[in-house]
Amino acid sequence: MTTMTQDLPQVRGVKQIPVFEGFTSGHRTCQGCESALVMRLMIKAAGPRTIVVGSTGCMYVANTTYYSTPWVVPWMHTQLGSSGSAATGTAAGLASLMRKGKMQEEPINVIAFCGDGGGVDMGLSAISAALQHDEYNLLILCYDNESYANTDIQVSGSSPWGANSTFSPPGKVHRIMNRRWKKNTAPMLAAGHPDVRYIATACGSYGPDFTNKIRRALTIGGPTFIHSIDPCPKGWDYDPKYSHELGMLAVETGIWVQYEIVDGELILNGPSRAIARGIRPRKPVTEYLQRQGRFAHLTEEDLKFFQERIDESWEKWWVPGVVPFGPHDEDA
Amino acid sequence: MSTVAVEVVYRGIFQKTLARNIVRTIVFAARKEGKIGTAFGRYGDSPERNGIPAKQFAIVSDSPEELEENLAVYEAREVDVTINVDDTMCKGIESWAWYGLQPINALTKPGGTLIVTSRQEADALIEDIHQKDTAYNLAIVPASTSFSGLWVYKDDHTDVRILGALARVCPELVSLDSMLAALEDQGWGGLKLTSARNTHDRLSTRPVEPGEGSEDEPFSFDLPGWKSMEEGLVIRGVEEGTGFRGVAQGDGYDPINSVADGSHGGFEPTRSAVFKKFSTRSMRPVINFDTCIKCTLCWLQCPDTCFDVTPDGLYDANMEACCGCAVCEAVCPVADCITMVNESEFNDNNSQWEHWTQDKEGYHRWMADLIQVQKDKDATRSHGYHSPGTYEAESEVAMAGDDD
Amino acid sequence: MATQTLPPQAEREELISGSEAIAIACSLADVDVITAYPIRPYDTVMQYVSKLKADGAFDCDFIVAESEHSQFEIVKHASAVGARTFCGSSGVGWFYAFEAITVTAGLRLPVVAMVGNRALDDPGAFGVEHNDAMAVRDLGWMLYWVGTAQEALDTALLAWRVAEDPRVFLPAAISCDGSFLTHSQAIVNVPTQEQVNQFLPQYDRGRLLLHPDNPITVAPQVNEDWLMEIRRQTDDAMRRTGDVIKEAYEEFKQVFGRGDPSPFIEEYMTEDADIVLVGMGTLAMPVRVAVRRMREQGKKVGFLRVKFFRPFATDEIREALSHCKAVGVIDRDYSYGSPSYGGVLFNEIRSALYTLDQRPLMQSFIAGLGGREVLVRDVEEMTAMVQESIDSGKVTEENTWIGVRD
Repeated sequence: MTTMTQDLPQVRGVKQIPVFEGFTSGHRTCQGCESALVMRLMIKAAGPRTIVVGSTGCMYVANTTYYSTPWVVPWMHTQLGSSGSAATGTAAGLASLMRKGKMQEEPINVIAFCGDGGGVDMGLSAISAALQHDEYNLLILCYDNESYANTDIQVSGSSPWGANSTFSPPGKVHRIMNRRWKKNTAPMLAAGHPDVRYIATACGSYGPDFTNKIRRALTIGGPTFIHSIDPCPKGWDYDPKYSHELGMLAVETGIWVQYEIVDGELILNGPSRAIARGIRPRKPVTEYLQRQGRFAHLTEEDLKFFQERIDESWEKWWVPGVVPFGPHDEDA
Repeated sequence: MSTVAVEVVYRGIFQKTLARNIVRTIVFAARKEGKIGTAFGRYGDSPERNGIPAKQFAIVSDSPEELEENLAVYEAREVDVTINVDDTMCKGIESWAWYGLQPINALTKPGGTLIVTSRQEADALIEDIHQKDTAYNLAIVPASTSFSGLWVYKDDHTDVRILGALARVCPELVSLDSMLAALEDQGWGGLKLTSARNTHDRLSTRPVEPGEGSEDEPFSFDLPGWKSMEEGLVIRGVEEGTGFRGVAQGDGYDPINSVADGSHGGFEPTRSAVFKKFSTRSMRPVINFDTCIKCTLCWLQCPDTCFDVTPDGLYDANMEACCGCAVCEAVCPVADCITMVNESEFNDNNSQWEHWTQDKEGYHRWMADLIQVQKDKDATRSHGYHSPGTYEAESEVAMAGDDD
Repeated sequence: MATQTLPPQAEREELISGSEAIAIACSLADVDVITAYPIRPYDTVMQYVSKLKADGAFDCDFIVAESEHSQFEIVKHASAVGARTFCGSSGVGWFYAFEAITVTAGLRLPVVAMVGNRALDDPGAFGVEHNDAMAVRDLGWMLYWVGTAQEALDTALLAWRVAEDPRVFLPAAISCDGSFLTHSQAIVNVPTQEQVNQFLPQYDRGRLLLHPDNPITVAPQVNEDWLMEIRRQTDDAMRRTGDVIKEAYEEFKQVFGRGDPSPFIEEYMTEDADIVLVGMGTLAMPVRVAVRRMREQGKKVGFLRVKFFRPFATDEIREALSHCKAVGVIDRDYSYGSPSYGGVLFNEIRSALYTLDQRPLMQSFIAGLGGREVLVRDVEEMTAMVQESIDSGKVTEENTWIGVRD
């Protein structure tokens, strides 16, 4: 029941990534901000016939500060928990006006983005609702820097276990204040919305893969969701020059898993696929954790616990790294 | 004396704890002398962004009534002492919520003092600092720039050394004894006290005459009123980019399929006229265009869209947009093709590619010199946490290198 | 724009509730995007809308949201890309949407919403109180209290016309008393599509349209350098609504052949009145009955119904109340701890009259909360209390709760 989408071809390698810039300088993000890069890659892939709505967070406050904007394409703010509703409203408005002949008919990409606070916490219900409307073509992109970074790094439902934040500071009595394990968001949405044709995880360190995921999400039809892991030099506390490397380390340690779920089929990508097939060993989590000041207070025992949880997700989960539950032995 | 105001200009997040230690200790020290004070950060800088210049203030008065005259403000109107904890900010600072470039000495009172942590000589710094109509003093605390992060503080004594210097240049604020007592109250004894005292004793200042310094006009911006602002919270988007140096894009350009290989006249994104990002930069990339293999990675991975694509398929970093994150250096697969060099080595934001095309030999000499200077002077320069133990090692190096 | 008067004979009569009247208005206005979420009593309007859509009588994108917050966010964004929109809520549902409601006005988006007035929780209660809609009074929403089902339909058409006027671009809320309007059917004249087309132009967002052909950035974050100017713009837009409403209402009367002398207030037997009672919404019905009875007894009593609460028609209200000896304001709301413990409307009216040379005595009544009926004898009792104040030359009880058990 979906209307036409744009023709956005897949790229093969970095040299095919478009030169077009829809998100340029004029933003006020941190040095080495990976989320700013994600915005840039996102709109490069989508092209100029796109409307972007962005919920409150760094990519609102640091990007668009009144009288200047980095956006070449039309962009509008939406409230923290509203990325799903913003995408639905924008797509519905366009669809209605075009159907009734009140607006020139053409496929316009609709992308709503949210941070992990807006997406994984507050906005989950509206995202879920948006994913039920298969009559609208839209993409919701969750850029996950693993904290409420814009409000000065408070723990979210997507923060990793043990991470230092201004709401989970290690103290004299409680070393680990964030005892929650990071939400497994993309599989949760995929399992809960079986009609959605495309859900993926992504990382800006892998440019062509990222571009192709955005393009697949925008062309397949219906509502789609991409969850991107964005190293945050401020909140994670590392030298900004390592944003790219930390993104790769998140994948290579198996902490972040790269995949697409296309029409009900799970396709692991890049290093995650090599890990799953046993072609490439997972790097120890310490190679990732010990590079970041937010984990500086972790003890040997904590690091071991973290490693065991990651091992478990790869060795014991029904779908390694992705789905924690499976059928009971007797039903398998 | 009635009221003394001090500002600390620092790089957001990297030096947040450092600035906080300084302004809070000033107020504690003033209490030792029966004075009253306040310490606050400029609200518009919050939430702070890595590297983007920010300010904290300490204001000390003899009485609560005098202090009240300086309360409920975002920024002190003028200060007796400006403390700049990264000498690359001598070129001016643009807060992320402030429009235009503010000279580092903008708030320094006539006859006041600018304290800078630096390994440079005074004359070299003054070359960068915007000139003023009135005289002031420049004091240098010899030190490498101290950068850490949000969670782990690099305790290399920069905070106490600056406080020692402050007691020297502004004894009417607090005496050295009061400063040391305030430090001890915070549990900083032993070597930290020695560092403070040594810096106090050995500090020299240099008068800066009116009109001395950089003649550059800092870029500024007028705020329109409600009648001319567009309604509905609307501002116009950035214009779509053009070919390199404004030339029209050649035939066949297509935003979906055209790539960054220099075809169609190259590409230059349009950039904001009202917000530049260069004062965030403490290092800049220097590019060897001859060894570049045109892999696109520096261009592709730049979060600030700062690489222009030249018609010959090279990538020229725009120095008004570059904030010095060094991701380009990190992702470049060719050894020494991109090298980050301390910002204080440069006096303009000119195009490196233009320099290279006009005079390849001259460019190579210039580039080789810069890379050598960078290697000699500042090998341990760091923007934050790397791994357990690095800060301790860096602090040892920093303290061993003190001229104290 | 209408330049000639059309005869009203093309209308048809229907026996419908206020909710259904607004649903029909949505269809006549060719609204593009409508969002629904269930809560009594407003949701009856969405039941009618969904039926119209199901039967093919009305082409719109009708979206059942997963919360009131999303309901209002969706229409906000649809409005930004140029769609005519409608939604609504009641009671705590309206409050659940409050973040979206306030930004809609900040963004200057002409969303039209129905509030089926309902008491706020806790305790849960379905009956009418005006506190829900009242909560937006400071935010840049136009706010209208409807008296009849006919007025509900007419006001909806007026609301899109004024809200979407580029001089205004502000959202509008149509408040309808729960039960008495939302669930009670009356004979309503339904205008023809031609009449509505003549009165209501298409929504044109102009230079503020969010579209790839007009690449703008909407609602960037601001600091203290900008917000006062932005607030002042919205203030000015609200100041402009008065003239735009008058202009639209004059045309409305020409096109549809009905309407009051003023779009802002209704005056009933106030001309020579010593006592003027003031109220909003359906309590006008028992009050008008009481006024007629008291007039028969020779008492000089009149009634002023406030229709537009925002913009507040200061001049008209001041003029209407400048000749009487005393004013009794009947609030179907409460404002705990307010000046004189008076209702919201009372304190607004009292403030508007402050600059009069001859100020009438002022008395506040809280009545009909939680949907309790306001009886004719309640109105007579209130009038008698105001008369006592006139007789004694002073108000002894500034605020009285009417019809409450001790």
